[in-house]
Amino acid sequence: MSTSTSNSCPRCRGERTETQYQGKEAGQVIWSVLHCQQCSFSWRDSEPPESISPAKRDPFFNVNPEEVKRYPIVLPPMA
Amino acid sequence: MRGRSQALLDINAHSRLDLTPNQPGQAPDRFWEDCSVEEIPARGSAEKIPNGVQRSSIAVPAKKARQIGSLRDFIQLLTDNQQCIRWTEPVMPEPDIRHIAVAASNDVRGGPAVLFDNIRGYPGRKLIIGVHATWANIALLLGYPKTATIKELFFEMTRRWGAKGAKPELNWIKPEDAPVNEVRIEKAINLYDLIPLTRINEFDGGFYLGKAAVVSRDPRDPEDFNKQNVGIYRLQIHAPDTFSLMTIPAHDIGRQILIAEKENRPFRISVMLGNHPAIAMFAATPLAYDESEFAYASAMMGQPITLTQSGNGLDILAGTEIVIEAELMTGERILEGPFGEFPGSYSGVRRAPVFKVTAVSHRRDPIFESIYIGKGWTEHDTLIGLSTSVPIYSVLKDQFPEIQAVNALYHHGLTGIISLKNRYGGFAKSVALRALSTPHGMMYLKNLIMVDDDVDPFDLNQVMWAISVRTRASDIMVMPNMPMVPIDPAAEVPGKGHHLIIDATSFMAPDPVGPDMKMVNRPTGEHIERLMRQIRKMQENGAQ
Ligand SMILES: Cc1cc2nc3c(=O)[nH]c(=O)nc-3n(C[C@H](O)[C@H](O)[C@H](O)COP(=O)(O)O)c2cc1C
Ligand SMILES: [Zn+2]
Repeated sequence: MSTSTSNSCPRCRGERTETQYQGKEAGQVIWSVLHCQQCSFSWRDSEPPESISPAKRDPFFNVNPEEVKRYPIVLPPMA
Repeated sequence: MRGRSQALLDINAHSRLDLTPNQPGQAPDRFWEDCSVEEIPARGSAEKIPNGVQRSSIAVPAKKARQIGSLRDFIQLLTDNQQCIRWTEPVMPEPDIRHIAVAASNDVRGGPAVLFDNIRGYPGRKLIIGVHATWANIALLLGYPKTATIKELFFEMTRRWGAKGAKPELNWIKPEDAPVNEVRIEKAINLYDLIPLTRINEFDGGFYLGKAAVVSRDPRDPEDFNKQNVGIYRLQIHAPDTFSLMTIPAHDIGRQILIAEKENRPFRISVMLGNHPAIAMFAATPLAYDESEFAYASAMMGQPITLTQSGNGLDILAGTEIVIEAELMTGERILEGPFGEFPGSYSGVRRAPVFKVTAVSHRRDPIFESIYIGKGWTEHDTLIGLSTSVPIYSVLKDQFPEIQAVNALYHHGLTGIISLKNRYGGFAKSVALRALSTPHGMMYLKNLIMVDDDVDPFDLNQVMWAISVRTRASDIMVMPNMPMVPIDPAAEVPGKGHHLIIDATSFMAPDPVGPDMKMVNRPTGEHIERLMRQIRKMQENGAQ
């Protein structure tokens, strides 16, 4: 698995992303699945731009990595 | 697979589950035996099972349904009935699979499931979607011809619901004999290699397993078979061997995770993908905490379900396509979502529990079963529509025999229609209020339409007719600030909002006590007041 800096995250624009898998046919790479270590977004580089291009995505779905604490915790650990 | 006695030996370890076979001569306690093929009268004979369904027309499909032992068997049955098509043209994981799934299920009555075996970048992998997406497919699963009406299927389910307490037939086979263990992976686990993942909706936070049945045990009582839980919980893949699980504290698995974390106990799950089609239908039915979904599914299907043990000690379906064994990373949370939910809106981003995969078992050439969920109508609605409607019917019918049918198919019951024999003015409204206090109705029944027994609640044209000609504006009730499904976008605040009752039953006089009522003449006036003063005086004077 390689950590790449050229594939910034479409959702949070973070740079800490990694290629987790490559779909291949007869040895040829067809697409790659990437994952953002900052906001947990996963995407395939073959998806329509509405899902993976920051310019085309609905900004409503952006995640600001500074504000991670504002997202509710599922099953808050019991005291 | 071995004989019954051997299977019984194996299950003795599972206490509390009564699996003693019927004694010869003992009356069968299984509902399906009273509609066995032999007993079904010849075509043309008008014998009816309750509520008007002709038995003669269901002999062959009923027999076929009883032969379903796995997803593969069901795919075969669907294919034989032109209810499953193979998509052999190359498709991209996104957006093609999403688009084809939606297009196939837009014909909610008769559309097919779609089996993909030529997905770009996933050579040799298979994905099926829409197995439960249309009424024709649900009909075949319930042993009916694919043209059965929804009303027929509803009454079939109410009949089976009555057999809830019937003895389940569960067979256990050894792990080494189970088809799911044909291939076993314990090292270098890579879910991407095995499962042709796709993004279900365009703004989902990642790739999800949307139709996985998750098996877990009570961390305090891991030996109790009945406290073992099977539920559908969405899983988001975060790495080749890591996923998150989304749930709420009120669901069984939520409760188990909280206990495991609090008491620092290990918590292991088995994720079953590509299951016997009854499991998806019944794993999403809320049962009591100590009711087994496996036992229930077997009783509801009227046929034995074959289980085995997973590598991490859970009971799983022996014929499942893929089983992922995983362990909770205690105390860890990871960003999860958004995800397109059943009301057709996205859930927000949350921080959800994380699981690490420890092993994977799968059948040779496994079929990954996926689902499209989102803005309705979707497979989610067909999958759970009947099992949402029937429990509401059953609670109400107990107290009000006037109830005819309950249609709560609309998005987990956010809208429901109840038909009943009206008794007197206002009766339907009072019954509606009772429906709002059933376990499911409490939060989910947001819009409730009451119709007379001459209206089929499953025929929306008839329902619209009743609303058009029988509803007066004064027969509409709005109940403000009631409990509501937190993810309903129409909530005032998540979890609280307004409920609506439309009484579309015809005019009925009140009970005839009003018109001929006569008031009692209570003595009043100067004379009575004088008597009151006299009585007070006598009291003060101590009159004996
Ligand atoms: C397709 C589908 C997806 C579901 N996804 C979730 C989910 O992600 N989280 C959840 O808590 N419940 C989900 N449910 C609902 C549960 O499976 C259902 O409420 C079940 O009854 C829970 O059982 P429990 O109370 O035994 O935990 C889903 C249901 C269906 C049909
Ligand atoms: Zn990111």
